[in-house]
Amino acid sequence: MIAWIIKSFLLCVLNVVTALFLSPLCEGIMRKLRAAIHSRIGPPITQPYWDLLKLLGKEDLRSTGGKAYASLPALTLGSTLLLAALIPMGTVPPLAFAGDMIVVIYVAAMSAVLIMLGGFASASPYAFVGGSREMMMLLSVEPILAIALSVGAFKAKTLTLAGIQNWQMQNGPSISMAIAGVAFFLALQAMAGKLPFDIAEADQEIMGGPFVEQSGSRLALLRWAMWVKQLVLVFLLVEVFFPWPYFGNYLVDLAATIVKVAIVLVLVSVIDVVNPRLRIDQALGYYMRVAFSSLVALAFAVIGK
Amino acid sequence: MTATDQVTVMRVEELIAARSNGGLLSATIPHADTVHCTIEKRTLVRVVEGLVNELQARFMISVGTDQRPVTGNFAIVQLFSLDREHLYVLLESPVSEKDPQIDSITGVVAGANWAEREFQDAIGVHPTGHPDPRRLLLADDWPEGMYPLRRDFPYNYRPPHAEDVHPQMREPPSGATVMPMGPFFPVLEEPAYWRLFVEGEMIVGCDTRLFYNHRGIEKLGDSVLTYNEIPFLAERICGICGFIHSTCYCQAVEKAAGIEVPRRARYIRTIMLELERIHSHLLWLGIAGHIIGFDTVLMQTWRIREPVMWVCEQISGNRKTYGMNTIGGLRRDFPEETKPKLLQTLDTVEKEAIAVREAIVGDTTLHARTKGVGELTNEWAKKICVVGPPARASGVAIDARIDHPYAAYDELPPQIATQEAGDTWSRVLVRVTELLESIRLVREAMAAIPDGPICAEIKKGIPPGKVGVSVVEAPRGEAIHFVQTGGDNRPYRWRVRAPTYPNLQAMPVMVDKANIADVPITLGSLDPCFSCTERLETLDKRTGEVRVYSRAEVLDLSRMKTRSGGAQ
Repeated sequence: MIAWIIKSFLLCVLNVVTALFLSPLCEGIMRKLRAAIHSRIGPPITQPYWDLLKLLGKEDLRSTGGKAYASLPALTLGSTLLLAALIPMGTVPPLAFAGDMIVVIYVAAMSAVLIMLGGFASASPYAFVGGSREMMMLLSVEPILAIALSVGAFKAKTLTLAGIQNWQMQNGPSISMAIAGVAFFLALQAMAGKLPFDIAEADQEIMGGPFVEQSGSRLALLRWAMWVKQLVLVFLLVEVFFPWPYFGNYLVDLAATIVKVAIVLVLVSVIDVVNPRLRIDQALGYYMRVAFSSLVALAFAVIGK
Repeated sequence: MTATDQVTVMRVEELIAARSNGGLLSATIPHADTVHCTIEKRTLVRVVEGLVNELQARFMISVGTDQRPVTGNFAIVQLFSLDREHLYVLLESPVSEKDPQIDSITGVVAGANWAEREFQDAIGVHPTGHPDPRRLLLADDWPEGMYPLRRDFPYNYRPPHAEDVHPQMREPPSGATVMPMGPFFPVLEEPAYWRLFVEGEMIVGCDTRLFYNHRGIEKLGDSVLTYNEIPFLAERICGICGFIHSTCYCQAVEKAAGIEVPRRARYIRTIMLELERIHSHLLWLGIAGHIIGFDTVLMQTWRIREPVMWVCEQISGNRKTYGMNTIGGLRRDFPEETKPKLLQTLDTVEKEAIAVREAIVGDTTLHARTKGVGELTNEWAKKICVVGPPARASGVAIDARIDHPYAAYDELPPQIATQEAGDTWSRVLVRVTELLESIRLVREAMAAIPDGPICAEIKKGIPPGKVGVSVVEAPRGEAIHFVQTGGDNRPYRWRVRAPTYPNLQAMPVMVDKANIADVPITLGSLDPCFSCTERLETLDKRTGEVRVYSRAEVLDLSRMKTRSGGAQ
């Protein structure tokens, strides 16, 4: 029992530390890639670390004094780290328990809800518009995440991520899980706040939306939370929906996972760089169609494909 | 002058005589393409109605002049263009100092709105019956009853410091909230304040405060600088279309003084004007992409644009603000050795511009963000007298290069690109087509450029009391310069109207019932240039002192800049 607790604890620490310290590097690589497509040299890939360091050392300027407003960035980062502890990142999920899939769905939504509340808590009309856009995006993207994971739960007859992952490895690819995976990937673009769906921030329209009144260390935490979320969700996609090829050798499997994560991150940033920003109504329509399409995956799961 | 033109001039004069009901004081033809009529102010609205409704005249600008030292009255000149007939009509109405008001024509021509507010601010002639007679160009802390363009007003007057000033803005309709955009906003490169009245994300109205950059360039032109210094200042009106303003000013003076510019100078002016259009349109495409979050377009178009700047630097010594124009022609010849480099650059730019066009035409997300966005109907475009690509994208086929040919455009007529839909996508298409057309024009001008002198010799000097109107089709639309010559080697009145001035007035129509997300791109699709519109002069922020650079200082500064490594 004690050994199990220690093992879970160590795995949690491992996942959280990995997510926390690897995510800026991923962002740095994505920026470099974006710069290459722009015909620019771009910043060094360590730049996000320096950005965080600089922001963390800056003066704390507040437009409103509310406790909620001041504590939301830390809570946001915390929620994404909690998500990191719940999902498999190269190993089994550290915090595995019966029904953890349901918790993942809720925790994945938490950061967006917190950012939205932060927007509503500040006095700026841009933050207010950004907050309401964040809410609309969340409402349209969250069902896709839920449907995609439900397909896995239906196939594997379990509500644990580890169970779905195991079932996937034993049974190999299926049509329903492939469709669910693609739907999840499409939703990922919005959940990570990337173009064409960075509508809640939309620098050119509402000056960063919920982030407009955030500065210094609180802005650093919010940025960090977004990067962690992006990396963790990519791991979730890769580990649960596309866990193959499975070699049985731990190091080889880990290397394969990292390669797959890198491929997904590249895809995300290429989509980000070749698209203009959609309007909120257009994005809602788009995700409505994705959600209905992902229901097809559920239908396939029912007939056993 | 052809026979048909004679007939048109007769028709215009007859119409004005009939409409003014005996109020026609004088009618002259100062130039082959200009009719200048002086009418009593009480008949103005009737005459304007006739011109607009019967002759389809297009309102260009109002010029308020303090003529008290000469005639004892203020003069309000309304400038109209008969585009198809290639004719300018100047309607001058004297306004006495004792009764400084004139009937507003905004009810007849919606596009006269700002122009009338401007002469109210500058000269102090009140447009009676104006629907919105708020302050337009003077700062909010400027004292009441001070009219900076009156002759007895010193150019270096500094108003007393004022506290607690704020613009007079309208309140939102009930149920709507205010969403401010500006005075400083990320996608506006210059200060402008838009108050958007929104319900949710839908715009139900808007109000504007502009002219934060107004520094009184016109006042400098008629009180401090001389004829040949003004081109340098005119060039600095805008950071993008500087050559357009200096050309336009020089042409206005040349026309007033009857100076014939040599053919070679006209061709070189054409080449430089078209090069400015090429780099301006590429710049605009990039900014438009940036506004909708498409930074790849921004980065690529600006990369394509850069070699054009290098060629301009090789021709003139500067990437921008060439300092080439002077009254009567040019100060600098086109270097023959630059020709191959220019042609080669054009080939590259053309190839890459076509690649960009293919990329954006096939991008469905881009269509989603621009089609049906910021629609300006043909009817409104005509009412507000919109110019340039926004007009042509709404099916109003006007282009100063065709309607009032200048420089070498009489021998090199451009093909006008028009679209009917009037939305942002149409404006993108119009500009991309124009960009390629400009490349063709530069090539043709290079092939046809004659040898000869580049500057006319001015023997007699510039006679006072003459009027010159000149338009230049800038990338954003037609720029207008109106010059009335004066006696002390400087204009008596120099009026500048940049193309953004009428185009911005279309914004309230274009954003009505739009989504907040569409406002930046709608504004961006007009390619607004606030410093042009507001005519800037340098102001030292630390001391608050207005500093006017003399020609020698400007030269020294630009030389220092070049030596410090500005050159490629």
